Amino acid sequence: MKLGVFMSDFRGGSDVLDRLSAEKLGIILVGNGIYHATTKENGKSSPLLNKSANFYVLSEDLESRGFSPADVDSRVKPVTYSDVVDLIFNDYEKIIWI
Amino acid sequence: MAITKLAFIVRSLPYKTEASRLALTHAIASQTVEIYLEDGDNVEPVLCFIGDGVLNCLKSQQAGKYYGITSLEQHVKNSLLLDLKVMICKEDVDRFGIKEDHLVMDAEDIGGDTKAQLVPYSEIQKVMEEVNHLQFF
Repeated sequence: MKLGVFMSDFRGGSDVLDRLSAEKLGIILVGNGIYHATTKENGKSSPLLNKSANFYVLSEDLESRGFSPADVDSRVKPVTYSDVVDLIFNDYEKIIWI
Repeated sequence: MAITKLAFIVRSLPYKTEASRLALTHAIASQTVEIYLEDGDNVEPVLCFIGDGVLNCLKSQQAGKYYGITSLEQHVKNSLLLDLKVMICKEDVDRFGIKEDHLVMDAEDIGGDTKAQLVPYSEIQKVMEEVNHLQFF
């Protein structure tokens, strides 16, 4: 299964993500999920980014919160709304939102 | 004559929910309550950002451009413009590795004189003990 996961929380949802497995997993960080890509706590990146997955972050949500693509962890690719549409239609068979 | 002290404690992240926006708009609105009070009575609001809430105070928020709404950055500035006491927890700012120049610490660009204060949590705790009403958002 090729699974795309929208992650819109910073503090919740990681427990669900930990149990998900897929042949191809894409995690799209949106809303408050963008803090996983930009924020280090006590110098450490979000543990979410250690998961084996392709990570994307929505630029619009990033910039709304005062960040720029330069602030994004190197494991995460900034994408626009239209890139997300392409991901949904071309790269993943199923999409969930947590 | 009595002063009622109010603390608005913001611990929520911006935008996904209205919580932090409500804290700021309520704190700002509390400045107008004077017209309903007896002579000599007043309220004294304090706005404190703790935990994830400090991320409301980041500069360069472009919520107007993408969401069509005023940014929390602008609300913080409006609070300072109205001379509200704004305190930001230093331990939490440090925990996220945020530099002070990335935070909204003043509203000089819109004519405000009051500055936000970066303070240890113990000072915010002291505020919470001193106020008459404590509200978490």
